[in-house]
Amino acid sequence: MRSLQREPGVLLALLAVIVLVAVFIVYPQVRVILTPGDTYVEFFTGGTWRNSLIHSLEVMALSTTTAVALGFVYAYAMVYTDMHWKPFFRLIGILPLLSPPFVVAASYVILFGPRGVITYGVFGQTISVFGLAGIWGVQTIAFFPFAYQLIADVLSRSDPRMEQAARNLGAGSWGVFRTVTLPLSRPGLGAAILTTAIYVLEDFGNPALIGGTFTVLPTQAYGLISGFGDLPGAAAVSTILLVLALVLYFAKVRLDGPRSFVTVSGRASSMPRPPVPAKVSWACFASCLALAGIITLVYGSLLVSALSVAFPGNPTPTLANFEYIFSGPNGTALQNTLVFGLTAAALSSLLALVAGWLTERGRWRGRRALDLLLIMPAAIPGLFFGIGYALAFNEPWLDWLDRGVLIIISMIFWNIPVGYQAAVSGLRQIDRSMDEAATSLGASSLRGFRDVLVPMLGGSIRVGFVTTFVRAVTTLSVVIFLFTSSSTVATIRIFQLVSDLNWGRATAFTVADIGLSIAALGIVAVLARGRIALGGARA
Amino acid sequence: MVIKTDRSYDRRTFLKLAGATAAIAACGGAATAPSAAPTASTAASAAATAKPVTGTLSVYSALNESTNNDFFAAFKKAYPGVTINVLPLAAAGELQTRIETEKASPKADIFIGGSSEFHDPLGKEGLLEQYNSPNAKDIDPKFKDANGYWVGWYTGIFGFISNNSRLSEVPGKPATWDDLLDPKWKGKLILPDPVKTGGGYIFMATQIFRFNKDEAKAMDFMKKIHANIAQYVPTSPGALTLIDQGQFVGCPNWAHDILTEKSKNNPIDLNIPTDTGFEVGAISIIKGTKSLDAAKALVDWSLTKEAGDLNVKLSNRGSTRADVAPAPGSPKLSDVKLVNYDRQWATDNKARILKLWQTTVGL
Amino acid sequence: MPDIHLRLDHVTKKFGETTAVDDVSFDVPRGSFATLLGPSGCGKTTTLRMIAGFYDPDAGDILVSGRRINDLPAHRRGTAMVFQDYALFPHMTVRDNVAYGLRVAGIAKDERERRVNETLEFVGLAKLGDRWPNQLSGGQQQRVAVGRALVLRPEVLLLDEPLSNLDAKLRVQLRWELRSLQQRLGMTFVYVTHDQDEALSLSDWIAVMNAGRVEQAGTPWEIYYHPKTSFLADFVGAVNLVPATVRDARGDDVTVAFGERSLTVRAPAGVALAAGTAVRLCVRPEALGLARHGASNTLPGTVARRAFLGDLMRYWVTVDGREWIVDQPDPGAGSPYDGEVSIEVRPERVHLIAES
Repeated sequence: MRSLQREPGVLLALLAVIVLVAVFIVYPQVRVILTPGDTYVEFFTGGTWRNSLIHSLEVMALSTTTAVALGFVYAYAMVYTDMHWKPFFRLIGILPLLSPPFVVAASYVILFGPRGVITYGVFGQTISVFGLAGIWGVQTIAFFPFAYQLIADVLSRSDPRMEQAARNLGAGSWGVFRTVTLPLSRPGLGAAILTTAIYVLEDFGNPALIGGTFTVLPTQAYGLISGFGDLPGAAAVSTILLVLALVLYFAKVRLDGPRSFVTVSGRASSMPRPPVPAKVSWACFASCLALAGIITLVYGSLLVSALSVAFPGNPTPTLANFEYIFSGPNGTALQNTLVFGLTAAALSSLLALVAGWLTERGRWRGRRALDLLLIMPAAIPGLFFGIGYALAFNEPWLDWLDRGVLIIISMIFWNIPVGYQAAVSGLRQIDRSMDEAATSLGASSLRGFRDVLVPMLGGSIRVGFVTTFVRAVTTLSVVIFLFTSSSTVATIRIFQLVSDLNWGRATAFTVADIGLSIAALGIVAVLARGRIALGGARA
Repeated sequence: MVIKTDRSYDRRTFLKLAGATAAIAACGGAATAPSAAPTASTAASAAATAKPVTGTLSVYSALNESTNNDFFAAFKKAYPGVTINVLPLAAAGELQTRIETEKASPKADIFIGGSSEFHDPLGKEGLLEQYNSPNAKDIDPKFKDANGYWVGWYTGIFGFISNNSRLSEVPGKPATWDDLLDPKWKGKLILPDPVKTGGGYIFMATQIFRFNKDEAKAMDFMKKIHANIAQYVPTSPGALTLIDQGQFVGCPNWAHDILTEKSKNNPIDLNIPTDTGFEVGAISIIKGTKSLDAAKALVDWSLTKEAGDLNVKLSNRGSTRADVAPAPGSPKLSDVKLVNYDRQWATDNKARILKLWQTTVGL
Repeated sequence: MPDIHLRLDHVTKKFGETTAVDDVSFDVPRGSFATLLGPSGCGKTTTLRMIAGFYDPDAGDILVSGRRINDLPAHRRGTAMVFQDYALFPHMTVRDNVAYGLRVAGIAKDERERRVNETLEFVGLAKLGDRWPNQLSGGQQQRVAVGRALVLRPEVLLLDEPLSNLDAKLRVQLRWELRSLQQRLGMTFVYVTHDQDEALSLSDWIAVMNAGRVEQAGTPWEIYYHPKTSFLADFVGAVNLVPATVRDARGDDVTVAFGERSLTVRAPAGVALAAGTAVRLCVRPEALGLARHGASNTLPGTVARRAFLGDLMRYWVTVDGREWIVDQPDPGAGSPYDGEVSIEVRPERVHLIAES
C-alpha cells in the first residue's frame, strides 16, 4: 500500500476505476435486484428454474468444449502454420461475431431446418436443427471466434526459444506441443474457456430460435420480462447465472495457480518457430476450410436473401431491399450503430487495459474483488444489464443525459470482461523486469505503463476492441430498454423488420450492418498498425 | 392525480355549448341522431380552428413496422400542430417493462398497440392517465377499461395457418382445437410461446375458457398438444415464417397476420376453428405526460372511423367500432364462434396460469 | 573523511517467515566501484532492489548523499539499474531505448540526440543505433542496457549480475570495459555478482554476504588476504584452512601449534587470542613455495595429485595426513614436482582466523 501512496497518479487511476465500476457495473444491478422481492423467494421455491439450469449446464459443457477446441485449432493454424489463404480465414474468424440476433439463427433454419434448402433441398433429409443438437452446433460456430481471438493473442506472444529448446532436448512435434506450447498457453486457454463458457451461458438469441422446446436460463429470463413483466423473477434467474459465473471464475483461478507464464522477458530473440509437420498443417487447413465452408454458406444465404424478393420462396433478384435500408430512420440507425460501436470499443479496451494493469501488476488489497467485478458483466444477460441501466439512470435529475451516451456507456461496461481478460493474460506474459527497467530509468508507474507495456499489449487491445465492437453492434437485449428514436440502432431496426416478416429488408439490413462493421474494423486495423508498432518482437 | 389544466374540458364544455347553441339556433326539430354527429364534428372542427392542438408526443408503438408510418402520417394530417416521435418496438411486453422501469421519469406520452393485457397492469400500478374519450362512448364496454386507463381500438381474431403443400401429411385444417391432438400432427405443429408472446397466452387462455374455466381439463389439453408441438416460437410472426417456408405444417396464430402472409402469395391458408379467442388492441396515456392535450388528441383520433379503416387496410386487423368493415377474407368478430373470453380474469391470472402450464408440461 | 555517497543503516527485509536481509549496514564512498558478493540466496539482489526502490525495507534507512530515500518512489531516486536479462524494450530501436530515460526527464530533442549519440559511442554501438533489440547479440544487448542507464548520469548505477548470461571471454572483455567506464566517469557503481573473479578484479570495495548478513566488507585485498571467517576465506579463491591451537599470544605475535609443528605469525587485527583458543591457519596456495628438499621452516609432504591450469600448476600435497593446496606459477619454467616435496611456509603470509 505504501507504494500506492507514493504514486498519486496510480492511486488516482485506481480510484477512478473503482468509482466507474461501482457506478456503472454494481449500482445498476443492485437497483434491479432490489425491486420488490418476495417474488424472489417465491420464484426460487417455485422451482421452474431447475430444468432451465440443467439445460443451461448441458449446453454450456457441450458448446464451450467444442467452441474452445475449434478456437484453439483455428488459432494454432493461424499463428503457427504456414497455411494458405490466411486473410480469408481471418475474415471467417470474425464473421460469426458480427451476427445481429434472429437473422443468422433464422438462416440456419432456412438452410438446415426440416425443409432446409441444404438438408432437404440438396440431401433430402428431414433432420431437425431444433433442440439441443441445433443449439450446440450453432453456438459452437457462433462462439469459437471468442476463443480463437483470446488464444491466438497468447500463442502469438509465446517465445519461440522455449519451443526450440524443447526440440533441442529431443522432443518431437507432439512432445513440444504437449509440454511447452500447451502449458504456456494456459493463461489464454483459461481465459478463453471462462469467457466462452460465460457467453454460452448467457446466450439468448440462438436458443430462442433454435431451441425448439428446450429452455435455458436466458430464454426463461427473457420470457419472464416479455411475458410476465416479472422483474424480480428475471432478477432471480440472473442471480443463478451470476452464481454459475462465479463458480467458473474460481475454478479458473484454481487451475491457473501461482505459476509463471512469462514468455516475454527482456531478452529479445529473432528465432523462428520450429516448423510444424506437414500432416498437421494439412489437418489444420482442412478443419478451417470445413468451418469456413459452413459459415460462408450461412452468410452467403443472407446475401442471397437480401438480394431476392423473398428467399427461398421467390428468389427473383432485386435491389429494392438495399435501397430501402439506406433511407430514413435506417440510415440514422446504421450511423448510430457504427459510432456507438467504435466509441464503446475504443473506450472499453483502454479502460480494460488500465484495469488489467492495476489488478495484475498492483500489490494492494482488494485486487481479487475488483478482478471479480470486472469479469461479472459477462455473466449478466444483456436484457438484465439494460434494465439495470434503465432503472438506475432514469432519474429526473439525469434527464439531460443523452440516451446515445448512455447506450455507449452500457456497451463499455457490458463488454469489459473480454478486453480485461486479454489485458491480464497479456501482462502475465511480460516479465516484470520491463516495468522495473522503465521505473529505474525515471518513469513513474503510469508512464512506464503507457510507454512500455501498452505498446507490447497490442494484441490484447485488439481483442478487447474487436470483441466490444462486435457485441455492441449485435446486441438487441441491452439496447431495447435504452434506445430512443434519435439513438436507435441497427439491431432494433432488424428486429422491427423481422417482426414485420419482411425478410428481404431484414437480411439486407443485416448484410449492410455486417459489411459496414467489417469496413470499420478494417480501417481501424490499418490505423492501429501505424501506432502500435511492435518492432521485431512479433512472431 | 394530475391537475387538469384545461383546454380539453373547455372543448367538452364548448361542444356542449355549441351543440346546445346549434340546437337552439336550428329552430324546430334539429336534434335527430344524424345531426348530433355533424354538430359534434362542426363543433370539433370549429374547436380545431379556434384552438389548434400542438405539442410533441413520444409514442411507444407496438404496431407493425408497415403500419406505423402510414398510421402516424395520417394522424399528422389531421393534427398538423403535433409532432410525433415514434419509438417502434413490436414487442408489447418489452414496452410494458420499459414503461415500468421509467416510472421515476417517464419518457413516453402514449403507449399504443399490443393487447390490453399489457396495458392493464400499468393502469393498476398507477402509471397511466385516466381518460374517457368522447369517441369511445359508442364502443362496446367489453373493449374498454372500466377505470378509463386504456381503451381498445382494434381487435384480432385467433386463427390457424397451414402450409398447403404439406397439408396432406396431416388430417387437414382443424375445425376445432381438439383436432390438433391427432398423432399425425406430431412434430409438424408449432405454437407461439405462451410465456413470451401475447398470442401464445391467448391461445392457452382460450382453452381455459373453452372448458369453462376448468383449469385441470385445460392443462390436460395443453399437455396432450405439447406432445405434438415441435417448437414454441419466441415471436408470433416468427412462427408464420416457418410455415411459409414449409419447415412445419401448421400453427395457431393471428388471423390478420396470416392474411397478410397470404397476400404475399405464400403457399398458406387461413381457417378459424370454433371456440377461439381474440385480442383487444389498446391505447393508453402515460402518467406524467407533459403533452396531455396532444395525447388525448391521438387517443381520440385512433378511435375514429378514419383511423379504424386505415388500420384495417394496413394490418388486416379488425376494429372495435361497429361501423368499420373487416378486412377482405376476414370474418367479422360477431360472426365467429368465440369462447366466453373473460379478459379481466385472463389478465389477472396470467402469471399463475403460465406457471401452472410450465409445471404441467415440464418446461 | 571519504565522501559517503550511499549508506545502508541497519536495513532488514523479511518475506513472510524468511529474513532475506538481516540488519545490514555499509557505506559506499563517492566514485567507487562497490560490489555485493555472495552465493545465491544470500540477499545481495534483495539489497540492491531495496536501494533501487523496488522493495521497501522493514527496518533501517537508506541514504544517498546524506538524504534518506526510503520514502522516495523508485523512479525518483536518481538510481538507474542494469538488469541481468537486459530488459530492453522490444518495441523500440537501440537509439530509442537509450533515449527513453531522457525523454521521460523532458530533455529537449537536440540535447537528447547529442547525449544519446555520445553514449552510443561510449559503449561502442555507434553504428547500431537503428537496430532492433532482437537483431543484436547478447553482448551488444548488454551494452545497450548499460548505455541506457548511463546516459541519465544517475547518482548511483546499480548492476544486477549483468554479465552472467554471457560467455566467458565476453564476460572478461566487458568486465574491463565496465570498469574503465566507471573510472572515466567517476560514477558510483553498486554491482551484484556471485563470481568472485569479477568482484576481485572490478571493485574498489566488496561486501561479502551470506544468509542475509554482511560477513565482511573491505577492499579486495583485505577480503582476499585477511578474511575474517572460514566461509569468506573459502568463498573467495582457493585456500588452505588448517586447524590449529594458540599456544602463546604476546603482543603482535602469536604462536600456534598444529599437529606436532608450531609457527609464529602476526596476530590478526582486533582479535584477542588466549592460549588454548582454536584457530585456523589461512594460507593462499600461491603464497606457498614448493621445493624438492626441505630447509628449515618447511613442511615435508607427498604429492597426492596435480592439475595443470595453464598459467599455474596446482599441487595437492599430503602433510601429516592433511592435504595442502600449493600453486606453482609458470609451470613451463621447470619440470613438475612429484613424490616427496617440501612446502615453504612464510609466516608473514599466514593469516589467522579465529574459529567462532
